[in-house]
Amino acid sequence: MKTTLRMVAVSLVMAASLMLAGLAGCASGPSVLRLEDSVIDNEVVWNGEVTIDGIVTVKKSGRLVIEPGTRVLFVHRDYDGDGIGDSELLVEGALVARGTAEAPIVFTSAATQPQRADWKYLYLDFATEVDIDHIVSEYAYSGLQIHFCRARVTNSVFRHNVDGLRFSTVNLLAAGNQMYDNRHGLRYEERRSQVHLHHNDIRENDVGIFVVTRSTDNALIEQNNIADNRQYNVKLGWQQPGDVTLPRNWWGTTEPLAIIKTFLDQDIDGSLGRVSAPQPLAKPIDIHNWQKDQGVSP
Amino acid sequence: MTRFFSLVGKFTLLVLLLAGLAAPTLYACVGKTLLVGSLGSPQQQILAQMLSILISERTGTSIKIVPMDGHAEAHEALLRADLDMYVEYTGVGQVIILKDPPIADADELYKAVKARYNQELNLIWLKPFGFSDERFAPEGTVADAAPVVRKDTLKKFPALARLINKLGGAIDAPAMKKLEKESASGNYKEVARKFLKENRFI
Repeated sequence: MKTTLRMVAVSLVMAASLMLAGLAGCASGPSVLRLEDSVIDNEVVWNGEVTIDGIVTVKKSGRLVIEPGTRVLFVHRDYDGDGIGDSELLVEGALVARGTAEAPIVFTSAATQPQRADWKYLYLDFATEVDIDHIVSEYAYSGLQIHFCRARVTNSVFRHNVDGLRFSTVNLLAAGNQMYDNRHGLRYEERRSQVHLHHNDIRENDVGIFVVTRSTDNALIEQNNIADNRQYNVKLGWQQPGDVTLPRNWWGTTEPLAIIKTFLDQDIDGSLGRVSAPQPLAKPIDIHNWQKDQGVSP
Repeated sequence: MTRFFSLVGKFTLLVLLLAGLAAPTLYACVGKTLLVGSLGSPQQQILAQMLSILISERTGTSIKIVPMDGHAEAHEALLRADLDMYVEYTGVGQVIILKDPPIADADELYKAVKARYNQELNLIWLKPFGFSDERFAPEGTVADAAPVVRKDTLKKFPALARLINKLGGAIDAPAMKKLEKESASGNYKEVARKFLKENRFI
């Protein structure tokens, strides 16, 4: 009988521990938090340092608020051996990540010598509310991926990723962001998106903007600095037969032929559409004053 | 007492269930990573890099190059879907893999090996690169290099065959020899990229 009671007690303790471990991700307030695979299905606030070793999902009923200065570290795990880290933050509910210029919210690798694609992505999928301002997202496969939702992404930095900012089928405003040292600064499949990208710095990536496919030239990408990208400033994907127009941007030069040479389009592959850059700007845009330029109060 | 144990048991089960619900394993993908096999020779490494760069640069698909010890291992990996594609040689396919009699004529050999791979193995021979390497040719055959791809993979990526086939006939024997010479220091990736760029594939 004593043995049986002891076994019951041990199993109760184990079960309670498991439950607490699982629910730890839903607690709010701790300055140091470590999460494995877990779900957020209510209002949660993160601050301090949060380490993610697995997949953390903000469910439809969940709302994650990340405070300025928070560092979210992703542990590198490559379970499927595809060379891409598997830790991620998946948001199907609400995400409010509003850092400040002095205290941005940082999403990065937990490795001491971080590499591109150490972690998978910050992924917004059918998210119910998205407000992202002053974040830094680095060393991911995608610094930020947005699909099937309305989002506002401002004053943020996407660097050292495979894809800096990536989207499809969205209603997106992106302004005041810097995308540099990614394979693709911006990557998108338009698919009926309503997009306005302006006052962004898209520089020194392998490819500045990668228009993969399904663009019907509705995304408005204007008044950005799209320059000094290593291979191409703009590249059309293999299945992008339609033209893409990018008006009123700074291309690093005002010389029309020099601008065109930085595009991979019909000139290189006849099956592709043409990239055009009407009304190129004569000088770089100051991305930090976009609210003033747009007549928006800060 | 029995009732007590029954209650405790039910409570334990409930707690475990809650714990399970609190931390489920989820899956969200970045798109399938294509796996390209490479047999290890400089020629194989250049061609694997070439396929990898062409596909990833033009479609955005992630690619991983997987080293293979030999033809049989690569073929088995392809059948098991541990690879999506690798570069094989027609004579090897015919004689070593299919164990069919050698065919001397290059076109007939390609047609024969392509047909049997397709019908019996669900593997597709795409267009040959444009060179034959006698080092790989079993007696009485030739060895035209060509990508062999799983039919499943081509169904999932319908544009892939057309893209890879752009390399069909693009590398003749002198060009391949030149690429191998240029990559003597092991810089296969740079050599493959340079070739693709110079020939306006990327």
